[in-house]
Amino acid sequence: MNRLVLNRLITDRRVALLVLIVVAFVVMSLISPYFLRIENLLSMLQYSAVVGLLALGQTLVILSGGGGIDLSIGSTMSLTSVLFGLVAVNAGLTPWVAALVAIAAGAVLGAINGVLITLLNLPPLIVTLGTLYLYASAALVLSGGVDINGFDRDGFSVIGQTSVVGIPFQVLVILVPAYLLVALLMSRARFGREVYQLGSSALAARLSGVDVRAVRLRLYAVSGALAGLGAVVSASWLLNAKSTAGTGLELQAITIAVLGGTAITGGVGRVSGTFLALVLVAILNSGMVLAGVGSTVQIGLLGAVLIVSMLVRSRARAKETVS
Amino acid sequence: MSTVAEHAAPVAEHRATLARVLVAVRRYLLPLLLVVEFVVFTALSPQFLTAQNLLNVVTNASDLALIAAGLTLVVILGGIDVSTGFAVGVLAWIVGTLLGGAVPPALVLAVAIGGGVAIGLINGALVARLSIPSIVATLGTSAILQTVLFLLWGSRDLFSPPVLPALSGQARLLGLPVLVLIVLAVYAVLQFVLSATRFGRSVFAVGSNRDAAVLAGIDVTRVRLICYAVLGGLVGVAACTYIGRVGVVQASSGNELTLLAIAAVVVGGTSILGGEGSLIRTLGGLLFITVLQNGVVLAGVPPLWNGLMVGLVILLAVSIDGLVVLVEARRSRGLS
Repeated sequence: MNRLVLNRLITDRRVALLVLIVVAFVVMSLISPYFLRIENLLSMLQYSAVVGLLALGQTLVILSGGGGIDLSIGSTMSLTSVLFGLVAVNAGLTPWVAALVAIAAGAVLGAINGVLITLLNLPPLIVTLGTLYLYASAALVLSGGVDINGFDRDGFSVIGQTSVVGIPFQVLVILVPAYLLVALLMSRARFGREVYQLGSSALAARLSGVDVRAVRLRLYAVSGALAGLGAVVSASWLLNAKSTAGTGLELQAITIAVLGGTAITGGVGRVSGTFLALVLVAILNSGMVLAGVGSTVQIGLLGAVLIVSMLVRSRARAKETVS
Repeated sequence: MSTVAEHAAPVAEHRATLARVLVAVRRYLLPLLLVVEFVVFTALSPQFLTAQNLLNVVTNASDLALIAAGLTLVVILGGIDVSTGFAVGVLAWIVGTLLGGAVPPALVLAVAIGGGVAIGLINGALVARLSIPSIVATLGTSAILQTVLFLLWGSRDLFSPPVLPALSGQARLLGLPVLVLIVLAVYAVLQFVLSATRFGRSVFAVGSNRDAAVLAGIDVTRVRLICYAVLGGLVGVAACTYIGRVGVVQASSGNELTLLAIAAVVVGGTSILGGEGSLIRTLGGLLFITVLQNGVVLAGVPPLWNGLMVGLVILLAVSIDGLVVLVEARRSRGLS
C-alpha cells in the first residue's frame, strides 16, 4: 500500500516539478542576493501572467487529443492587442470596452481555427500554422507595424500596474482565478470529463454520446479568448499595444504545457501541472535575467527544457510498458 | 421502402457529382491559380512578365526550394520540421566566417552540408529513436538554434561574398543560372528516388501506416533518419545560396524560410498527414508562393500583406483537401 503511494508520488509530474521549483529557488537565492527581493519576485510573477494565460489555453487544446495544438495563439494575441489599441485609441472608446472587444475577438479567432479543424477534419498543426501567418500579418497590416499607445484612461492601468496585498493585480485577480476556474471545470464538471474522454479516445467518447466537434471547437475558442485576455493584460502592463505582442509566445506556451505533464497526444495532464511548470519557468527566467543573460538565451534554454521533458516522458512510458 | 430508394438515388448522384467537382478543383486549382496569378500580375505591372524578373524570382527562391525539397520527404513520412530556418541562419554564419578566413569554397560547402546533415540527424534521432513528436522536437531544436545564432552573431552583422559563383545565380549555363539548374536537378533526383526506388516506396509506406511498414520488414527508424539527414544536407546547401543572395547574416537570419517552406509543401498538395505527395507538387506550390510575393511587390502592395496572402493560400489549399476527403467519406458511407 505504502509502496503504491510512493510509486504514484514518484511518477506524478507535479511532485518532480515541486522538487525542481524548490531546488531552483534555493540555487537562485544562493547565486544572487537580489533574487529573494520582493521587487524581483513580483516582476517574476508579472511576467508569468501573460504567458500563463496562453499556456492554460494550450493545455486544454492539447488535452483534447486528435493532434490538438494551437500554434496561432501568439499571433492571436498580437492581433487582439492591435484590435484593443484601435478600439481604445483610434475609436476613442474606454479601454475597458476595448478589453472586452479584444477577448471576444480572441474567441472568434480561436473559433475560426476550431471550425476549420472540426468541420473540415483538418490537422490542427497545419490550420494553426496558417492562422499563425494570417493573424500575425493582419496585426501588422492593421497597425501599420507601429505600436499603439495612449489608452491609459479610466484606471485601465490597474490590471498591470498595481498590486493587491502585495501580489500583482494581474496574477491575483486574473491568472490565479483563471487557473482555479479551469481546474474546477476539468475536475468537477461534465465538460472537463468529456475533454479527458475524447483526449484518450475520440471514438470511445463519440460512442458514449460526447459531441466531439462541439467540445473541441469550444476549446479552441477558449484558447483564443485567453490569448485575447493575455493581450489585455500585456497592454495594461506595458501601456503599449504592440503588433508583435505575442510573437514567439506559442513556443513558450507549448513548452510550459508539455513540461507540466500534458501528453502531446492528449488525454493525460492537469491544469495544476501547467501552473507548476509556469512557476518553474518563471523562476528560471528571472534567474537568467539576474545573471544578465538576454531573452534570446532564455528561448534556447526553454527549447532544451522542452526536449528533455519529452525525453523523460518517453523513458517513463517505455518503462511502464515494459514492466 | 420505395420512397426511400427514390429519395436516396438523387442524393447519391448529387454527392457523386460534388465529389467529382471537388476532386477536379483539387487537381486543377493550383495550375489555375498560377495562370490567374500570371495574368493579373502582367496586367498590373509591365515589369512582371520579363525574362529578367522571372529569372530573378526563380534564382531568389533557390534556398527556399532546396529546403522545401527535403521537407517534402519528411512530410510524406508524416513528420514536420520547424527548425530549418534557424538552421540556415546558423550554417550561413559558419559559412560566412569560414569564407572570411579564406577557407577554400569547396571545403566551405562541404562543411555546410556536413553541419546540415548533423542538425538533420539530431532532429531525426529525437523523432525516430527517442519517439518525440516531430513538431515538439523541432520546436525545441529551433529554439536552441535561434539562441546559438544569436550568440554567434553577438551584435555584429556578418557580411560575406557568395561561396561559389554557381551558388549565387551569377554563373550561367545556356542562358540559365547554374543555381536554378542545380535546384531542378535536386528535384529530379529526389522525385526519381521517391517514385522509382525501393527506398522511395518505403518512405510512402512509413508515412501512410507505420505499423504496417514495420510488419512489412521496413527499418522505419533508418528511413526516418535518412530523410531528416537529406533535409539537413539540403539545408546546408541552402545556407550557402542564402548567403549568396542576402550577403549578410543577422540575429534572425533564415527564420522567414521555416514557415514558407512548409507552406510551399502544403500548398503544392502534399498531405500533411503523410503517405501522399511528390516533389513536383512542391515545385508548383513553391512557384505559386514566390511568384505571389514578387508580383505583390511589383504591383505596389505593401510587403506587410505578404503573410496575409500566404496564410490565406495555405488555409484555402488545406480546406479544399479536407472537403474532398469529407465528401468522399460521406459518399462511400452512403454507398455501403
